[in-house]
Order: sequence, then structure tokens, then C-alpha cells
Amino acid sequence: MSSAFTKSAARNIFYGGAVFFFLLLIGLTFDTMSTLPKRDNRENLSESVLRGKHIWETRNCIGCHTLMGEGAYFAPELVNVYKRRGPEFIKAWMQGQPTGAPGRRQMPNFHLNDEQLDDMVNFLKYTSEINTSNWPPNIEG
Amino acid sequence: MWFFILAELLVFGIFFLAYAFARTHNVELFNASQLELDRASGVINTVLLISSSYFVVLAVSRIRRGHSRSCASWLITAMTCGAAFLVLKLSEFSGKIEAGINMSTNTFYMFYLGLGFFHFMHVVLGMIILGAVTLKAWRGGYSAADHAGVETGAAYWHMVDLVWIVLFPLIYILN
Amino acid sequence: MKYQSQMVAKPYFIAAIGLFLGQILFGLIMGLQYVVGDFLFPEIPFNVARMVHTNLLIVWLLFGFMGAAYYLIPEESERELHSPKLAMVMFWIFLAAGVMTILGYLFVPYATLAEMTGNNLLATMGREFLEQPLPTKVGIVVVALAMLYNLSMTVLRGRKTAINLVMLVGLWGLAIFFLFSFYNPGNIVKDKYFWWWVVHLWVEGVWELIMGAMLAFVLIKVTGVDREVIEKWLYVIIAMALITGLIGTGHHYYWIGAPEYWQWWGSVFSALEPIPFFMMTVFAFNMVNRRRREHPNKAAVLWALGTGVMAFLGAGVWGFLHTLAPVNFYTHGSQITAAHGHMAFYGAYVMVVITMISYTMPLMRGRAANSPLAQVVEMWSFWLMTVAMVFITLFLTAAGILQIWLQRISDQPMSFMAAQDQVALFYWLREGAGVIFLIGLLLYIGSFFIKGKAATAD
Repeated sequence: MSSAFTKSAARNIFYGGAVFFFLLLIGLTFDTMSTLPKRDNRENLSESVLRGKHIWETRNCIGCHTLMGEGAYFAPELVNVYKRRGPEFIKAWMQGQPTGAPGRRQMPNFHLNDEQLDDMVNFLKYTSEINTSNWPPNIEG
Repeated sequence: MWFFILAELLVFGIFFLAYAFARTHNVELFNASQLELDRASGVINTVLLISSSYFVVLAVSRIRRGHSRSCASWLITAMTCGAAFLVLKLSEFSGKIEAGINMSTNTFYMFYLGLGFFHFMHVVLGMIILGAVTLKAWRGGYSAADHAGVETGAAYWHMVDLVWIVLFPLIYILN
Repeated sequence: MKYQSQMVAKPYFIAAIGLFLGQILFGLIMGLQYVVGDFLFPEIPFNVARMVHTNLLIVWLLFGFMGAAYYLIPEESERELHSPKLAMVMFWIFLAAGVMTILGYLFVPYATLAEMTGNNLLATMGREFLEQPLPTKVGIVVVALAMLYNLSMTVLRGRKTAINLVMLVGLWGLAIFFLFSFYNPGNIVKDKYFWWWVVHLWVEGVWELIMGAMLAFVLIKVTGVDREVIEKWLYVIIAMALITGLIGTGHHYYWIGAPEYWQWWGSVFSALEPIPFFMMTVFAFNMVNRRRREHPNKAAVLWALGTGVMAFLGAGVWGFLHTLAPVNFYTHGSQITAAHGHMAFYGAYVMVVITMISYTMPLMRGRAANSPLAQVVEMWSFWLMTVAMVFITLFLTAAGILQIWLQRISDQPMSFMAAQDQVALFYWLREGAGVIFLIGLLLYIGSFFIKGKAATAD
């Protein structure tokens, strides 16, 4: 770097650039928030879905599964599991855990009651209807 | 400083390439949407920015001869053009927003509004930089021997101008 | 060491290394669970092991950052720390909170833990990396604020340099963006959108400031290059980091329900994110080549060069590999992400903390550098850990490519578990590389106990 380029110029670019791009991020965020109602399926955010999200969080599902590709990569993607398996399969699956098959990956049994299972399924139905720009590439997630 | 100007040009360059790429995939949509733009305001804005760049050149030539006050006056003239650009651009944007158009309307408008706003913010930043330089020049902070600040501010402003000169035909005209 | 109060860094660094060891042990457990699915089930299910693995990483890196701050800020400000006592109190609070949290994860079912710790009052738990119970999250905020008060007072009354200002800005940013972890709307799209304001704006934002300041500090010390030059580089690098990284957040917004224009904004800006990391590599090598002294601490120089290279490879190259939206469409949420995550965290943050520890620990133990033998062992640990991490990354990348091919691209896509079975070989190889990593880490810890005549300045 040439000597004409001083440290104070570099400092100004840092502070100026940080403020500039943070403002741009806030601007884009503002626009995003106004566009989300068309994409995020909020009209279906029922009490049951909210309870389902709470179960999703307090059982730390994200510690093994991904949801919209985010989480751990140990177990299947669940954003489209409702479309892949359907509600009854999901409930039966959760009740049937752990399989105990030797050497296979195990999922704990969370002892959810019928209402909680319904909440969970409703949550997964709600996420499956969010507009994720056609992700995942196919039904297998 | 040149490093950053080049980095900025790189960002815009990538966006222009992305625009060209997206356009080849959707020529009709781009052409149709393009016709909805206000070309007159685009032309006026181009004239405004080119003139402002010329005034900045005059300002630099003044300070090279040590005329601080006259340098500052030309910078103020340049900033007036910049301000006019911003006003015109804002009215253009607000027209689109009132018509219910936003960045998610279609890919063309994503680029038109997104790139336009990104450039708009650069003009604002350029004016802040020119403002700081003007203030210092007015107080006699530069001399014929030492006026790196004026040169740097001018270089940044020319960059903002240059980007517009590419952006305008690309988005408003090229059909 | 010029100021007595810099000594508070020592317990922070010791705790950091201890927790690092814990992190690696749980990593090995998880690695094995990938291929022997029922290993330690139901005692330690995978999700618990992963939570411990990632949370230990975050906590020990925070210990490292704090220790580094307590060491370098007094030295840069040319005065004693405002309150060493407060720093020590905070150390014990943070350690207690950290250990309690980990024990809670291990011995209490997560749902019960959530209920016990007030998650029903303000639900913040159960989101990746932010699994901590509410009291722990509040504790992190308290500890961070006390530290910031302590450090800010020191800087305000002392000399202000680029290094201590950048460090302080980075730490303030860390504390401020962490506040988004308390925001957990029911709308999962908004939840995820702002979750990234903690995670992305930490690791691809303010943490890079902290990393840059630490690296610049050590480089000034070990190379003797003029401060003006190093600080100018520092500003340019972190400016580029924020200019590219802030809008680069968009590369996380492609598939979570956010508007589609993020695919453009995220791709363009995150494609430029390797630039600051590349500059960091050039910076480290350039400064070492222009050195004006031969510092006796060769190991610290090696770590400083290593962090430059590995941060560029892990964060820069492996990040770029899958950051463009059309590529990310296929790679998102696969083992490619895991590969990138491992090398980026190791290269950028683990190594820079070890650089700092490697430089400061001998000074805090009353010598310019460790004995030649201790340094040789430390350099061996450098190579073992670094090469092992390169292989972990390569194996996970191979697993990821295969996984994507079988599960997402092929005409007859396989189910997730069927594809996992096909790539098991790579998971075994990864576990092997993980064992080498552990050996490297044990060697590293061992190097602290090797005695011998201390190296002196030439």
C-alpha cells in the first residue's frame, strides 16, 4: 500500500464502510419484513402450531435434524417431512422410537401425548407450506 | 484508496454481470418492464452526474493552484447537482412504490430497485465525503502542495459517476 | 509482560484449553455415533453430544477472546486494567455457568431443563447454538457487560491504538448482537432470519474484528514491524470483512422463506468474503518476512502463519465452494456445510486463540519463550492438529458430494438414511482423523509441562 494511503484513511473506510453496509442490511431487512407475509405462511400460525414449535425447541430436535437445511446433519430434513410421510406416519414413528436396532442411529422417545403429537404434526405441516424457493431439491430433503 | 475504489467497482461489476446473465434468461420480461421506466428522468440524472463530475474536476484544478475558496465553491456546485440527482431518483422510486412495485415484483425490478438503491446510497456517501472535503477546503485546510484529500474525494465521486454511466444504459435503455 | 493485571488472562486461557479438550472428546463420540448409531444410547443421545460439542466450542472461544482482551488491552493502553478483581469474579461466574450448563445438558432431559430454567417465561432454547438455558444466556450478557465496562474504562483512560479500539468494537458488537438470541418469534421464518444476526454477524462479522486485533497484536510483538504498517493492514482487512460480510448474511436467506432477491445479494457479497481472509494470509506472511527481530518464540510465529492460511482455506475457499445460490441449492444442509464449519472454525478462531495463548503464556510464566524442546512438541501438535483438520474437512467434503449425488441429484433419489449408509466409509476415515486431532491436542497440553532451559532473545 502506498504511503499516500494513511492509517486514518484506512480507519475512515472501516467505520464508514461498516455504517454504510449495516444501513444497507437494515434497509433490506425492512423490505424483507414487508414481503414475508406473502411467503411465510403466517396465516396458518395457529395456537397448535405455536405449541408444536415449543415442543420442537424443548426436545432439541435441531440437535439431530435439519429444518430448512439448518441444524445437525445426523438425521433427515424435516421441512418437507409432512409431504414425504404424512401425519399418521410421523406420529407412529415418534411413538415407535427408539427402534433399538443394533448399530443403527437411535432417536429418543419423547413420550408425547396425543395432543402434543398433533401439535408437532401441525407445526411440521405449517413449515412444509412456507415458500422456500423450491428447496429442498426433491422430496427426500 | 484505489484499492477500495477498485473493490467497489468489482462489486458493481459483478452485479452488472449478474444482471446480464439474468436478462439473457428472461429477455421478454426485462424488455417489457424496462418500458415502464421513466427514461427522461434517467437522462436528466445522467446529465446531472456528468456535470457534477466536471465541477469536481474544476475544483481539483483550482486547489492545484492553491485557490481554496474557489475549490470549495465548485465542490458545492457539484453537490448541488448530486442533491438534484437524489431528489429526482427519490421521486422515481416513490412513483414505483406507489404503483405497488417492489424488489420481489420480478427479477428486473429486483435489479432496478436494488442496484438503483445501492447506487443511491453511494451518491449519499459521496456527498458526505465531498461535504467533508468542502468544509476543510473552505477553512483553508488544503494547499497546492498538499491536497490528497481533495483528490481522493474526487476519485470517489468519479467512481460513483462512472457506475451510473454504465448502470443507466444497461437498465434503462439496452433493449 | 508489562502490567501485573495482565495476569488475569492466565486462568481464562487455562479454562479455554480444558474446555477445548472436552469439545474434542464429545466430537469423537459424535463421530462414532455417525457410524455406530447406538453408541452410548440412551445415555448420551447424538443431540446432547452435539449440543455439548458446539456449546463448549463457543464457550471456550469466548474464554479465549476474553483472556486475550484482558492481556492485550492493558498493554496497548499502557496502564493497569481498571479492575482485575472484577475480571476474576467474572471468570468464576462464567466458568461456573458454563460447567453447570454442560452438566445440565448431560444429566437432565432437555425438556425438563427448559422447564426448570424458566424457558416457559421467555422461550429462547432449542435453537442451534443457542440451546443455553435462560439463566446462562443472562449470565453471558452480565459477564460480557462487566468485561466491557472493565476494558472500556481501561482504554478510555489510556492510550488508544487501532488494536485496542478494534478489539473493543469487536467485543461490543459481540455483546450487542447476542441480544438477538432473546428474540424468538413463533413465526419460524422470522425466528431464523434474526437467529442469523447472532450467528452470522458473530462469526462472519464482529469475531473477525477480534481475530484481526489479536493477530495484529501478536505480529507486532513477534516481528517488530512498524505499528503504523500493521495497524493500516488491520483496518483495511476488517473494513473488507464488514463490507462483504454484512450483506453476505444473505447467503443464509436463500431457502428459509426470505424473499428471493437474497439469492442475488447473498451470492454477490459472499463471493467476495474470501478477500479479507486472503488479505489476512498475505498480511501474516508479509509481516513475518519483513521482521526486524528473531523472536525466540518460534511456535507462536508458526501459529500466527497457520491461522492466516487455514482461515483462508476454511472460511474463504470452503465457504466460497458452496456460497453461490445455484450451488447452495444442492449443498445446503449437507456434509459440505459440516466440512466448511469445521475448517473455518479451526482455522480462523481456534488457531488465533492458540496463537495468542502461545505468545502470552510463556510471558505470564516468567520467560520470553518456552524451552526449545517444549516448542518442538508444540509445533508437532500444530502439525498434527492442522493436518488432521485438513483431512477431516476432505473426508466430510467427499461424504457431502456423495450424499448430494445420491440423495438430491440422482434420477432415483435415495432416502437420507440410505445415502448415509453409502458414505459410511468416509465417516470412519473422519473418525480416524479425529483421533489424530485428539493426539495432537494432548501433545499440545503436554507441551505446557515440559521443563528445560527457557529460550532467550537472540
